[in-house]
Amino acid sequence: MTTKDKIYYREGLPVPETPDPENSPEFWRQTDVVGKPLPRVDAYERVSGTAVYPSDILLPNMIYGAMLRSPHPNAKVKGIDTSAAEKMDGVRAIITGQSAEAKNVKWKYRDQQVPLFASHCRFEGEAVAAVAADTRYQAADAARAIKVDYEILDFAVDYEHALDASAAKVGGKGNLLNEERYGRGDLDKGFAEADVVLEETYRTPCELHTPMEPHGCVANWERDRLTVWESSQGVYAVQSRIAEALDLPLSKVRAVGHYMGGGFGSKLWPGKYTVLCCLLAKKTARPVKMMLSREETYLCVGNRPASTMRIKAGVKKDGTLTALEFDCSGPSGAYPAGGVQLVDWLVRDLYRCANVRTSSKDILINAGPARPFRAPGHPQGAWALEQMVDALAEKIDMDPVALRLKNIPLESQAREGAPPYTTTGLRQCLERGAEQFDWRESIKRINGHNGRDNHLKRGIGVGACLWIAGDGGPPSTVIIKLYKDGSVNLNMGASDIGTGTKTVMAQVAAEELGVHPSVIQIEHADTATTQFATPSGGSKTVPTEAPTVRNAAISLKQALITMAAEDLKVDRDELNYIGDEIVWSGDDSKKIRITELSTLQKRGEVIGVGYRGPNPEDKVVNPFAAQFCELEVNTLSGEIRILRFLGAHDSGRVLNRLTFDNQVYGGIVMGVGLGLTENRQLDENQTGKLCNRNWHDYKLPTALDVPLVMSSLPIELDDPESNNTGAKGLGEPVTIPTAAAIANALYMATGVRFTRAPVTPMAVIRELSKKEKG
Amino acid sequence: MLPKFSYVRPDKLAQAVKHLETDKAVIHAGGTDLLGCLRERIMDGDLLVSLGGLKGLAGIKETADGGLSIGALTTITEVSENRLVRDKYPGLAQGAAEVASPQLRNQGTLGGNLCQKPRCWYFRGEFHCLRKGGGLCFAIKGENQFHAIFGHDKICAITHPSDTAPVLVALNASVDVVGPAVNRSIAVEDLHVPPAEDVRAETVLKRGEIITRITIPAPAPNLYSSYRKIRARRSWDFALAGAALAFAMDGDRVSRANVVLSGAAPVPWRSTAMEEVLSGSTLTAETIFRAARAAVAEARPLAGNQYKVEMFRGMLEEELRKVGKGGEV
Repeated sequence: MTTKDKIYYREGLPVPETPDPENSPEFWRQTDVVGKPLPRVDAYERVSGTAVYPSDILLPNMIYGAMLRSPHPNAKVKGIDTSAAEKMDGVRAIITGQSAEAKNVKWKYRDQQVPLFASHCRFEGEAVAAVAADTRYQAADAARAIKVDYEILDFAVDYEHALDASAAKVGGKGNLLNEERYGRGDLDKGFAEADVVLEETYRTPCELHTPMEPHGCVANWERDRLTVWESSQGVYAVQSRIAEALDLPLSKVRAVGHYMGGGFGSKLWPGKYTVLCCLLAKKTARPVKMMLSREETYLCVGNRPASTMRIKAGVKKDGTLTALEFDCSGPSGAYPAGGVQLVDWLVRDLYRCANVRTSSKDILINAGPARPFRAPGHPQGAWALEQMVDALAEKIDMDPVALRLKNIPLESQAREGAPPYTTTGLRQCLERGAEQFDWRESIKRINGHNGRDNHLKRGIGVGACLWIAGDGGPPSTVIIKLYKDGSVNLNMGASDIGTGTKTVMAQVAAEELGVHPSVIQIEHADTATTQFATPSGGSKTVPTEAPTVRNAAISLKQALITMAAEDLKVDRDELNYIGDEIVWSGDDSKKIRITELSTLQKRGEVIGVGYRGPNPEDKVVNPFAAQFCELEVNTLSGEIRILRFLGAHDSGRVLNRLTFDNQVYGGIVMGVGLGLTENRQLDENQTGKLCNRNWHDYKLPTALDVPLVMSSLPIELDDPESNNTGAKGLGEPVTIPTAAAIANALYMATGVRFTRAPVTPMAVIRELSKKEKG
Repeated sequence: MLPKFSYVRPDKLAQAVKHLETDKAVIHAGGTDLLGCLRERIMDGDLLVSLGGLKGLAGIKETADGGLSIGALTTITEVSENRLVRDKYPGLAQGAAEVASPQLRNQGTLGGNLCQKPRCWYFRGEFHCLRKGGGLCFAIKGENQFHAIFGHDKICAITHPSDTAPVLVALNASVDVVGPAVNRSIAVEDLHVPPAEDVRAETVLKRGEIITRITIPAPAPNLYSSYRKIRARRSWDFALAGAALAFAMDGDRVSRANVVLSGAAPVPWRSTAMEEVLSGSTLTAETIFRAARAAVAEARPLAGNQYKVEMFRGMLEEELRKVGKGGEV
């Protein structure tokens, strides 16, 4: 035993001291495993294809579900005839709004409760019927064979005209869902103090979530117990929404989601399809699988809403921001979904400014409801604010980086009582980012380049941000099990949505326990066998779960020390856990190997339980960032080539440099989509239907659209107040300033303020020819 | 979801023709778009006739007169990489290299590329449009930023999706066609059908006809050929604006200019106006300016694609500046 377990433990490296049970752990001053660029613990499974995603689930006797959806953006269902479909081969069940099993089932869009099948379909893609059949093809054919008599109604799909008196009413009442206002200081005074006041209107497109794995699930009943395998960011959210919809106790709903192919916010909760899949499974007494098609996901399960943002800003010649006024509008879609959620947050909180007023109008239109999309609201707000800051800098003849540095906030001005941030890394992100990007020299070089008679013009641009969350917080519970051979099982409810959560958690546990990360087996994302966790979203999984894992590891070490005290017959306060052994401080020859602890051997395992402690009182934990871009514009053809990008991110401690850089690069790529290529196009004047429902027409950036060179510069500031690991969220800030940095670089290259995203070659040509014509 | 279909893989050309004579038979060559067309139900095929078993339809060989004969099943990748193509007609190699993405070029064939279905989002989507037998071209008054500025005649505003067809038209290429009645040769310029002639057809091919080879005549003396394509994203996309140039050069004078635009019209669009300005001229800045203007003078943009007029003009200027400078500006 004494030699066999050696392979499990790291040698010659100290493990952090174990605090007494009543004390909090010390902030890690140095780390051995945490921060290392370890490859993902599940890399082999993911790359080799052995990882089982919900799409891969194949149960004995499993059949397939399909849905019939409204082809019209606004229509009433007058009648449904399923007779032909029922007779088709392989069809086992059809559920409509008239079916007994669906009649009383409700679905919720935020606080609005609706029937599972609405007789009034308010968006293209709204559910009308569901079918289960022996094969996917039979199910799809049967859904197509259902005849529906629609009364087609006028629609409103253009949110910029949805509040006009003549616009069709989405929900029968007015289309203004909500208007939120915010203010501080005295705006008139602020503008009066300014030397320069600028005003501009900016627009961002509706972006569609495009995870590699579409939404979907498999549902299976064992008598009264339901198991759902869902492609999800949070299994507990699936469990609670399904239990609520079907009126089941939580204990009777098991949600599993070990692997999932991306969500970006659109899989924070299940969908109507999940409920229908469960109902079909019940009705047919078979496991049912229902994966949505790409077209269905584009219509039904979320988007980043478009936005229109008027911003007016005042600045003194010395760079002091004196006033910010911001009015934005955007569509929730056909049901309440946060159409302007957080769009104004950066205006409220990113820069020091005493006088701020914002208003946000959330509008109903006949299109699919929004869902959170990586950093809801923030990239839109950054598109407006960060371009405006650049425009102000030009007017007062100040470097745009310098203007930002002049207005760094140390407290969150938009929150009640203006609490300070634990750390504000914005200054370092800008300064060190600009230095590594060679900002000043690049401007000189580019001025020289653009002065020549050449239709290829270059530009550099900067964008900065914070992210409203990224602090994490309770609740979270994690259990770590030590087996009698010294190997470890880490049990947590959180999902790894592709960010590397499992890898990072293994590193945290390994750091504390002194074991190799490779001997830690992770059980996660299963409501029946793991602990409660909130969905992985808001850039909060690392700052929520990592401190909890650390607490669980410490709790385990404390339990082991207690056992060692019994075996060694000394006071537990005099014992130190050093990894493979527990050693008496009085004489280090008095010690015991972990795997020889008698209680461990008797019980077979020992567990440690960790809970997420509270966040600091009266302080705010937010990540900050600055990104820098260089690009080239062909002024004859309108083509844009992004040459290089730098992301300088303050997200506290870097727990794994590889997964950290992955997030930075991925966020930049996604931001390139917002800035240059992506745009949901509805057929506004004719049918209201979605025009771009495939990957040719909905233009995600390709490998050739993303920067030739991308670099990641972590700004690692010690942040012991944030949580016991000092890590802040990263997954969302990485995509916030990207599009704005591109727009600012485009301005330097062309002299045109591109106020509307995405900036395609079409837009470049349109704007340049407008400029030419004066 | 794909509809039900049968699949045959004949090894004789005559058998393939026979199969293709049946109602709802469709050709399966590279298959890069066929399955998509079936899935989206814009093609009503229930018999897929694979050409994969036919011998001699792939490969590139030199003809007696010094031109090239390219088998219809030759992959786009091979066309773009083949030494003979690159030596004789660099424009064709460039056109092939601009098609889609590497995976699609590896699988797609030159014959298939000429016979593509349009990519209009109304045609591909759940819209019962004129080209699919409906009563309306949705693009004329709808979202038409990607649509035609020439040759739509306000009937149907698709743009022809091929990047190789414009080059082949500019090079005076023709296709050999085998069919149930007679075998024939068609100039690529005459292969495609403008909406005013027949809005339901993309090519003049009749039921049962198969393109077997593409023949390009020997390069004109001092041939300059090129293909340029602008797209909304830099890969895996069709042309917003594209141009194939094939110039017979006499010193720095263009003795004969062929200019064919892509992303412009429902068929590869020959710009005779531009050819007239260029043929017999030297490429001075003034000629380039006039030629690029002439190319778009007759454009009939729709509400959303006015930009294409400026984009074609700018791109053609840039392309003409490269002539005689080794392709660099």
